[in-house]
Amino acid sequence: MRKVILEVSLSIILSFLIGYTTLILMGYDATKVFSIVIREGLSNPTYLMIRSTPLILTALAFSIPSLVGVFNIGGEGQFYLGALSSLLIAHITGNSLLSIITGMAAGGLLSVLIAVIKVKRGVNEVVTSIMFNWIIYFSLLYLISTYLFDPLMPYQSISVPKTARIDYLIVHIQIPAIFPIAVLTSLVMYFLLYHSALGYKMRVVGISPKAARYAGFDPESSIILSMLIGGAMGGLGGSLLILGHTHAIDSTMSGLYGMGFAGIGAGLLGRNNPIGIILSSIFLSMLIIGGEAAELRARVPTELADALIGMIVIVLSAPYIVRLVRVRR
Amino acid sequence: MLVEMRGITKVYPDGVVALRGVDFEASEGEIHGLLGENGAGKTTLMRILYGEIKQTSGEVIFSGKAVSFKGPWDSMRSGISMVYQRFSLVPTMSVIENLHLYLSSLQSGIRIEEVRKRAEEIMERLKFRVPLEANVEDLAVGVQQRAEIMKVLLSKPKLIILDEPTSVLTPIEIRELFRILKELKEDGITIIFITHKLKEVKEITDRVTILRKGERVGTYETPSVSEEELAVMMVGRGITPAKRGAPSLGREVMRVEDLWVRDDRGLHAVKGVSFELHEGEILGIAGVQGNGQLELAEALAGIRGVERGRIIIDGKDITNLPAEARYREGLAYIPDSRAVGLVLEMNLVENSILTSLRDFLGKGSRIIWPLASSRAGEIIERFNVIGSLRGQVKYLSGGNQQRLLVGREIIKAPRVLIVSEPTQGLDLAATEFIRSTLLKFREEGRSIILISTDLDEIFELCDRIAVIYEGRFMGMGRNENFTLERLGLLMGGVNA
Repeated sequence: MRKVILEVSLSIILSFLIGYTTLILMGYDATKVFSIVIREGLSNPTYLMIRSTPLILTALAFSIPSLVGVFNIGGEGQFYLGALSSLLIAHITGNSLLSIITGMAAGGLLSVLIAVIKVKRGVNEVVTSIMFNWIIYFSLLYLISTYLFDPLMPYQSISVPKTARIDYLIVHIQIPAIFPIAVLTSLVMYFLLYHSALGYKMRVVGISPKAARYAGFDPESSIILSMLIGGAMGGLGGSLLILGHTHAIDSTMSGLYGMGFAGIGAGLLGRNNPIGIILSSIFLSMLIIGGEAAELRARVPTELADALIGMIVIVLSAPYIVRLVRVRR
Repeated sequence: MLVEMRGITKVYPDGVVALRGVDFEASEGEIHGLLGENGAGKTTLMRILYGEIKQTSGEVIFSGKAVSFKGPWDSMRSGISMVYQRFSLVPTMSVIENLHLYLSSLQSGIRIEEVRKRAEEIMERLKFRVPLEANVEDLAVGVQQRAEIMKVLLSKPKLIILDEPTSVLTPIEIRELFRILKELKEDGITIIFITHKLKEVKEITDRVTILRKGERVGTYETPSVSEEELAVMMVGRGITPAKRGAPSLGREVMRVEDLWVRDDRGLHAVKGVSFELHEGEILGIAGVQGNGQLELAEALAGIRGVERGRIIIDGKDITNLPAEARYREGLAYIPDSRAVGLVLEMNLVENSILTSLRDFLGKGSRIIWPLASSRAGEIIERFNVIGSLRGQVKYLSGGNQQRLLVGREIIKAPRVLIVSEPTQGLDLAATEFIRSTLLKFREEGRSIILISTDLDEIFELCDRIAVIYEGRFMGMGRNENFTLERLGLLMGGVNA
């Protein structure tokens, strides 16, 4: 445990150093940029919580299948589908709970489809995931600009009716209710993974399919189950973002795009541990928000935050490489 | 002296001291035994000589020159070759293609006809045959090993290091290997023979160096030391082999009728096996690795489907029950691989409940971890496992892993225990511990099916012995009715 914390902190520090040096080499005032990133990233806790919410869930969408040995790169598509189906149900029924359930079911169904194709036909999940990501992305784009646009504001979709919106949990200290939902979900996932028979079986399958077979656990059902849960998490992420924050999807989908992929980074940084994921998602959201501010205030490229996150993930994998080399020598 | 190693110390990056100032020497044209338990540092020492790993300190002198090899390719040029426990042949290629591949790395551009000519020359001179055109995967293990030896001979080595070469062979194949080794010696090649088997040291070596816990105990002329003396030097104390008491057979607990099982490739691996098992009985299944033992064990445990036949425990047909249900019916299985029986990247507590998960669940299928911890503690105490509860199992030594695995299954007090190669790769002390544990289990009136390629183990533990060859029982009978020779013939598929 201590080693994990050490590795994660080291990788963050190292990637910051690399980012810092790069900024200086590019002629920016790196100290100023970093102070903007951190100060602005933390300046509005409410906004930070809102931005962290979908990230926590897409990170879970990646990490839970990952513990079972499945590389769910389809969080993006599951996230879109969750957002869309939630929006539709909210629009029709005006009920937030129903809308959330639909969002989770839609995400879960999509990922189960990917898992079943993998298990029954041996098709690599990465390939099908990416294909589904794009299919859903363009379908969604098409639907929003043709059937689902708001006649009064054609640059966005129909919106979530007031009755279905999820507002502040405690209004006067501005805690958006979607954030505690995400945190709670994460804790439930922690319990599921580390304190339930189901989670135990899933982890055994992920670490050693042979040992799982020996113990009489069915690897296939664990794979499908983990994908179902993962997909449901992705769907929930989309659902909560729509119901609790954006209330509509803009016709370029810029509000949704990339959230599933960012979740992969958050999952890796959180070491696939649901509690680690809560922390890593907040941290990465801070970088993203700060990066946006730095773009405006210090004119650094938009990609700064992305590059930093990418760097953290790369550096994080360094200990594995070191270990690999050590074992060989 | 052909080889001189002086004051070799090896400290691995994780701080483990594998060798502590070891001196070693081998003279030209001798067969030199390197004897020690697992973890004594035998293989590490030889990998240093072979240039595969670097010593932390100390010097290596080969043919009178101080050397520091950059890697195996470097040492091969100087005339050192090593034959590993696991062969390095490409299974889907023919023997001659493998030989060509190997030699090409030393002499680029060499033609396959040239390789064939040299190989035939060697076979002529040393009087052993390898089917050059056959695919490696179709060959018996003993023949594969001969191909491997042929391979290293092509590079005209002065020194061949053999790492536990007999561990996968039948008695007949071992005899053939020893004959070849003597031919090589006649030819002036020096051989270092790594082993932990005392008999083999006595039989084949001229001199022997004993290592214990990374230190050299001594080097002796082989005829001047007895097996008992060697054992004491290797282990550090005397070992008393477990004694099997007279059998007291109870009623029949298990019956298997005409069992047919397919392997992963869909071929029949078990072809009509039948037997019965009684209370207080150990039934040994002897055979060369890969004759259907794995498939038989997995079918009995419920991990692998049965094509035909019946498995009955206590009068109840369990042929179609899945593994988890069979474990609940009082069956336990210890597989031959610790990487299968244990989840190496989980801790001791998590591993303690792998095959009896249901016993540790509370409401809502919640795992009661304190209960699991106390079970793990119990296993550690009763079976002398040295390790911490929260540490990953992969950091345990092989012996401790095996104790954990055997302990976990025995502590469940199953009625029938299927155990496969329980002492493979273990040192003498751990081996005797496991064997006496199994015998004690038998004394309690429980039943064991022991699958083993180690004939000493089979003779030491089993009340009845069955020999499996190509998926069939070649013979079955009481322990006293078998001799080593007869067992060897049956294992080789010869009726005797």
